[in-house]
Amino acid sequence: MSELTDALLAAQNRDGGWGASSGSPSSTEATAAAVMAIAAVGRDSLRRRVEDGLSWLARVQKADGGWSPTPAVEGSSWTTGPAVIAFANLAPTSNAARRGWQWLVDHEGAGFGWLGWVVWKMFARMRVTELDPDLKGWPWIPGAFSWVEPTALGLIALKKLPPPRQDARAASRIQQGELMIYDRMCEGGGWNYGNSKTLGEVLQPFPDTTALALLALADHHERPANQQSLAVLERTIRGVQSGLALALAVLCLDVYNRDASSVRTQIAASYGETRFFGKTRSLALAVLALAGGASMLRVGRAQPA
Amino acid sequence: MAGSSACSKAPQWKRAGYLKQPTSRVAILKAADYDRPLASIVADGIKACKLDVAGKRVLLKPNMVEFDPGGVINTNPRVIVAAIEAFRQLGARDVVVGEGPGHHRDTEYLLKASGLGQALKEQRARYVDLNEDAVRSMPLESTFTKLGRLYFPETVLGADLLVSMPKLKTHHWAGVTLSMKNLFGVVPSAVYGWPKNALHYAGINESILDINSTLSLPRFAIVDGIVGMEGNGPIQGQAKKCGVLILGEDLAAVDATAARVMSLEPTQVPYLAEAERFLGNTTLKSIAQLGEDIGSVQQDFAVIDRFQRLKQLV
Repeated sequence: MSELTDALLAAQNRDGGWGASSGSPSSTEATAAAVMAIAAVGRDSLRRRVEDGLSWLARVQKADGGWSPTPAVEGSSWTTGPAVIAFANLAPTSNAARRGWQWLVDHEGAGFGWLGWVVWKMFARMRVTELDPDLKGWPWIPGAFSWVEPTALGLIALKKLPPPRQDARAASRIQQGELMIYDRMCEGGGWNYGNSKTLGEVLQPFPDTTALALLALADHHERPANQQSLAVLERTIRGVQSGLALALAVLCLDVYNRDASSVRTQIAASYGETRFFGKTRSLALAVLALAGGASMLRVGRAQPA
Repeated sequence: MAGSSACSKAPQWKRAGYLKQPTSRVAILKAADYDRPLASIVADGIKACKLDVAGKRVLLKPNMVEFDPGGVINTNPRVIVAAIEAFRQLGARDVVVGEGPGHHRDTEYLLKASGLGQALKEQRARYVDLNEDAVRSMPLESTFTKLGRLYFPETVLGADLLVSMPKLKTHHWAGVTLSMKNLFGVVPSAVYGWPKNALHYAGINESILDINSTLSLPRFAIVDGIVGMEGNGPIQGQAKKCGVLILGEDLAAVDATAARVMSLEPTQVPYLAEAERFLGNTTLKSIAQLGEDIGSVQQDFAVIDRFQRLKQLV
């Protein structure tokens, strides 16, 4: 744990942010994961590191309230989700959090357009995928289709940072996002990027995306789809040597109050072998998982054991 | 503006996007299986194509898409290792491997599961996740899509030589996926998402053309055709043994040759038909074929129904 934490601290850039890999320009997603991880470690001496990271995130927030992947990229996009999750945990009353929350409420995935919609409805045999295009979650970039990961991130962000008053639009966005994720579930449970079938071929779930989707839907933990997908995660994570997948699996299993001890052990072994191929996000999520920081991604009440 | 498409009245490529040379060399070299000493075969191909790599920073861009227990989806790590060794032997200053997988975000998982991570460790070769590299916005040198600009990774833009290393595969949207389509992988998913749906939405063939016209740095292709994929590629097709490596500087010429090796007609592949006008050579008479004759290595690759027209070889 301390080795991973030290590596994460060493990767912090002078501007306060973290890059996707050590030494690369600061990125929104890596910085959001890193500040949560270091805060979860809980040492007073590290408070300044967290503040520097949050300051960097606040500085690079776009005028419209969202975040782009790095300052070099124009336009807000999916990385608004991770940034809002970080602020929801560490500075929930900040102006940055409020503006980011509003950006998420205001943006949704695109549909097929009227012509595409007509073709979809009229010519079922021509469909290449099996999904409901009317369900809108969040896209990777504005104006694009909805996919599982940005939708999961958007859901966690909105659920972690509830509005100060009842907000019907936010409630509607959450409901649509949840329906969209359930609609994209793979046969037998679990999720990949967002297609359960292409041209009639069944597509397989990914452990990392499954864990993230389950985290976003954890307030519906009792649903059969959640339980089925949880079983898929527990099965598919065995033998995986990816810091990202292992860390997300631990965070998910902790939120669902399942035994994650064996997966936790795999994290250290995997880091020893691959150093997570230098990926800061994996390192940060691993530190978060090992520090018991699952509450930062928990939505709804704690699950019964 | 330097040209226009037969399909459109408006000019579709700028002067800098015109990359076609009078003729192109393409080498077809036999490699029966992955246990052969592939580095010498790759080096022979590079030399046959008269490619000068001395002192250059070389970026190898393999095709790594999904977890692949059967070894059919991704460029085989042994071919990538062979290319690393060959470029080093021929005096390259630096050889880096970079890819930006389009479906599976978890690159760690893919590197580990594919064996590529271990292979690169043994070679002491650096891997760059092009999905998360630093990026720069570039104006596109052709206008087949309406995208106008795309972000590209600095590792790609800073290379002296970009080597596209696809698997020899059929593709359920594009007909074939070879060295030109393989460059989808350099478009960063951290900006455009997993999958890179912005490119699909803009048109697959159109995006292939715009990306290839814009990445005008010196390029080379090494197609892993030792075992390819037929049918419902690029992921769910079946293995097809072909026993070749196909190499060349002109990516359009390499792809046209690879299509012929698959018994598929390149002029029926929309992006290749358009590429012939400004990106490279695709006709038999404009390609100087080195190594094996196409006929001696040709295999009958199955395609899905919508691409049956590709089976009518001219």
